Amino acid sequence: MRKKTLAAAALLAAAAFTLSACGSGDGGDKPIAVVSAESGSDKAATVLDQPFEKPDLVLTDTHGKKYDLRAQTKGRPTLIYFGYTHCPDVCPLTMNNLAVAKKQVEKDKQLTPAQKESLRIVFVTTDPERDTPSALGAWLKGIDPDVVGLTGDFATVQAGARTVGISIEPPKKEKDGKIVSFHGTQVIAFSPKTDAGYVVYGEDATVDDYTKDLPKIIEGENP
Amino acid sequence: MNQRSVNLAVLTAAGLVLAGCGAGSSSSSEPELKVTGAYMPAPPTGDLAAGFFVVSNSGGADTLTSVTSRLAGDVTLHSTKDGVMEEEKSFAVPADGRLDFETGGNHLMFEKLTHKPEQGEKVSVQLHFAKSGTVTVEMPVKSPTYTPETGH
Repeated sequence: MRKKTLAAAALLAAAAFTLSACGSGDGGDKPIAVVSAESGSDKAATVLDQPFEKPDLVLTDTHGKKYDLRAQTKGRPTLIYFGYTHCPDVCPLTMNNLAVAKKQVEKDKQLTPAQKESLRIVFVTTDPERDTPSALGAWLKGIDPDVVGLTGDFATVQAGARTVGISIEPPKKEKDGKIVSFHGTQVIAFSPKTDAGYVVYGEDATVDDYTKDLPKIIEGENP
Repeated sequence: MNQRSVNLAVLTAAGLVLAGCGAGSSSSSEPELKVTGAYMPAPPTGDLAAGFFVVSNSGGADTLTSVTSRLAGDVTLHSTKDGVMEEEKSFAVPADGRLDFETGGNHLMFEKLTHKPEQGEKVSVQLHFAKSGTVTVEMPVKSPTYTPETGH
């Protein structure tokens, strides 16, 4: 909503700019970037024409046990997100959105208890150096203890993320002590029917978006 | 005619009469800042938390140079552009413009917390500006899924 207002303001500003032809920088660059970022549909979910295979990741869960992603989520609707616990903004927001949506869906009368139980939410750390199994466990406990938290070798995680189109880099300290990090913020939903990653959500997806779509994903249908 | 009314004239007249081309003069005028929409999403642990707000400026340019709070031993400023999260030393507050700290973009990061902030609490935060001095904001702790767009 707010973004659209900004975009409209930017268009107005841009129009005024052209007409008045005063070349002095009035912050014209930034709103234009917002306009281009606004392209795309209003729907949170993107259904993929070419679904992803589930990443072949064998990592360590929050109890310190081996977790084979393909084996342990086989035939289950599964949502995967790559992030890290020292990320204060988008990572906890996304995970909380999923956790709250899952709670809403638990009240859904159209789904059987077995269907609801089958849903898996998986958080894979992009910062295994700091995100030990116990650190990850403590963080997820503050969100939803049922979320599967996975850590392990960074190169393994990175390679797994790449197979589902997500680029990640480990948070690193620059020479001046500043921390720089990069991670794709998509959530990928895997179908219980095919085990393929067939729906992608961006970081703007809300609790309501997930609440609306999860029953479909649990049944392996397109949201 | 001050800078603000020049801008308004440009916008409303949609540049019909090439409103005077007087931009740039506002850099010498005093900034007039207003901070709105401040909030902190309740964090999952007491290790770190984020903070968001909007600074609206109806005067000359200013700079947000640092942020402090009794809640945290350390408050740092971060930007996120195209998925790259980076710490920044300061943020420009443009003349007759705004500086947004919003989820997915710029954010404050509070570390070394005295306690885990709970929903309903208010956190006193001091925003330090180069020209305007210190602005204290009472930042409410909202639900972990709160965004200004959804309002919950």
